[in-house]
Amino acid sequence: MKALIVEVIDAKRIGELVTVGRIFGDTPDVVALGTGDIPGNYNKAYCSDAAVGSNLIDGLVELIQKEGYEVVLLSATTVGAEIAGPLSVRLGAPVLTEIIGAKSDMTVTRPIYGGKAMTTFKINQTPAILTVRRKYFESAIAEGTTTPVPLAGAAGAIRLVSEEAVVTEGIPLDDAEVIVSGGRGVGSGEKFTILRDLAGILNAAVGASRGAVDEGWAEPTMQIGQTGNIVAPSVYFAVGISGASQHLAGIANAKCVVAINKDEDANIFKRARFGIVEDYAKVVPALIQALQEEQ
Amino acid sequence: MHITVLAKVVPDYEVPTADFELTDGRAHSRYTRMIGLYDENAIETGVQLKEAYGATLTIISYGKTQDVTVLRKAIAMGGDALHLVLGDADDPFVIAANLKMAIEQLGNVDLVLAGQQSADMDRGVVHSILAGMLDYPFLPQISTIKSEDGRWMVAQAHENGIRRLEFSGKGVLSITSSPKNVPRIPAVRSILAAKKKPVEKIDGIPGTPMPVAELSVEIPKMESVCEFLPLDDMAQTCKILLSKLREERYL
Ligand SMILES: Cc1cc2nc3c(=O)[nH]c(=O)nc-3n(C[C@H](O)[C@H](O)[C@H](O)COP(=O)(O)OP(=O)(O)OC[C@H]3O[C@@H](n4cnc5c(N)ncnc54)[C@H](O)[C@@H]3O)c2cc1C
Repeated sequence: MKALIVEVIDAKRIGELVTVGRIFGDTPDVVALGTGDIPGNYNKAYCSDAAVGSNLIDGLVELIQKEGYEVVLLSATTVGAEIAGPLSVRLGAPVLTEIIGAKSDMTVTRPIYGGKAMTTFKINQTPAILTVRRKYFESAIAEGTTTPVPLAGAAGAIRLVSEEAVVTEGIPLDDAEVIVSGGRGVGSGEKFTILRDLAGILNAAVGASRGAVDEGWAEPTMQIGQTGNIVAPSVYFAVGISGASQHLAGIANAKCVVAINKDEDANIFKRARFGIVEDYAKVVPALIQALQEEQ
Repeated sequence: MHITVLAKVVPDYEVPTADFELTDGRAHSRYTRMIGLYDENAIETGVQLKEAYGATLTIISYGKTQDVTVLRKAIAMGGDALHLVLGDADDPFVIAANLKMAIEQLGNVDLVLAGQQSADMDRGVVHSILAGMLDYPFLPQISTIKSEDGRWMVAQAHENGIRRLEFSGKGVLSITSSPKNVPRIPAVRSILAAKKKPVEKIDGIPGTPMPVAELSVEIPKMESVCEFLPLDDMAQTCKILLSKLREERYL
């Protein structure tokens, strides 16, 4: 299967798609969004400075038809969401999003019902477009770099006016080995400070549930779950989080979940390795104290 | 200005895994039906645009007659009219083709809003396929929308941060959640008034499904292995936790 990756220049994101591409055949070719060399060795590599995925569709349609790509791989991120659907209409191609499993016979698995069920599909026609949920596939190690050639046709209806990058205090969620995450049970934005304190000592990143983000206590970029960040830390502290399936979808590959929740029936305890059934306001300060004593 | 919001009725999305059952690969029919969470964010955004610009707000859904009672919530929140295309397909191309038909019947739609993803299919793709079919630009994960001199100025919750984008003419936007579009709870008199609103029912079309076969739907097993720590002395509890995390090499 001749596969094409479309992704921003990011070694881990591209690496995960390389892994999926190799399930279907050889190392895929790549269209990278952004400027500079692409991590990894590719037969053919293209780049585009199209700031908005929607503006890239024409160029992609032309390339895919000319080169005869059979599978187009994108991450299930904003860029992937922007491109996959419109591209599928233009190519008359089937599109399956947020896949978490793939086999060489073109069967893929994806969640439904907030991750409470898994569906397996057989794709019967190519080209096919897939968006891949992050952190479900190992990132292939990128050796060397490839200098891409520019892809034509990046005009479009959408204009990027400005961009405010997120400045994460401390460690970015994507790289964190330890994550301390707060939910609606934390009670207020100010009270998130104690989670930041704990994270500081643990060298951890701070995350949040949608409950906490909807309340305005945490930034949307901190959301973890099906429609937030997908993370795979070694330890995940879930503080005042009920453990809705859509939240659990974001931590499926966390190695060890520690749940701190005052409701012993909370669903999070079904996913946790260790549980403390108590008001977090009692637990977190004690945990900080214990960590300080160790130092 | 005419805005349409696409809304889908789904089985209760808060049902925990332990209580979740399938019949014929779909959620058991006993769960309460409700409008999907992101769809409610989109309705809220639509109502806010109506309030800001005096827009007309039409809610469009593809689904079954039984769900009309659930969809009336969108009217109670501030929608002006409800159009339901009758059908029961799950295929995104079929759903999009039916929604396209309803939008074209309305004729004068300026902007189409939809939830970021439905609360049952988890895929976030119907709106963007619809955009492709209508040949409108598509932008996902929009959190705020303004109209300025005939252009749309929108903010997108991109994973790299906030992007401000601009376009003219028609478009399809998927709406993400933000503290500013937490769905309002309609007043009782709005709920009662919404019950009297006529609903436009449209016969669905077959459409052309994607060339994929659904082989199986399964509920993955969640093995519960939680070790509950003792609670008598919290300082001690925390020490136990830390030593266990270190012993098992998690920390
Ligand atoms: C399509 C879709 C996508 C979604 N995507 C996401 C997503 O990406 N991420 C996400 O998180 N959610 C997502 N959700 C929402 C999800 O269904 C839940 O509504 C959400 O996760 C609940 O957040 P929460 O656990 O913080 O709040 P709640 O469910 O309100 O839970 C709060 C918890 O805090 C506990 N608590 C209260 N006080 C204390 C205290 N003092 N000490 C200790 N514990 C306490 C309570 O016992 C409770 O368990 C999505 C939903 C839909 C429909």
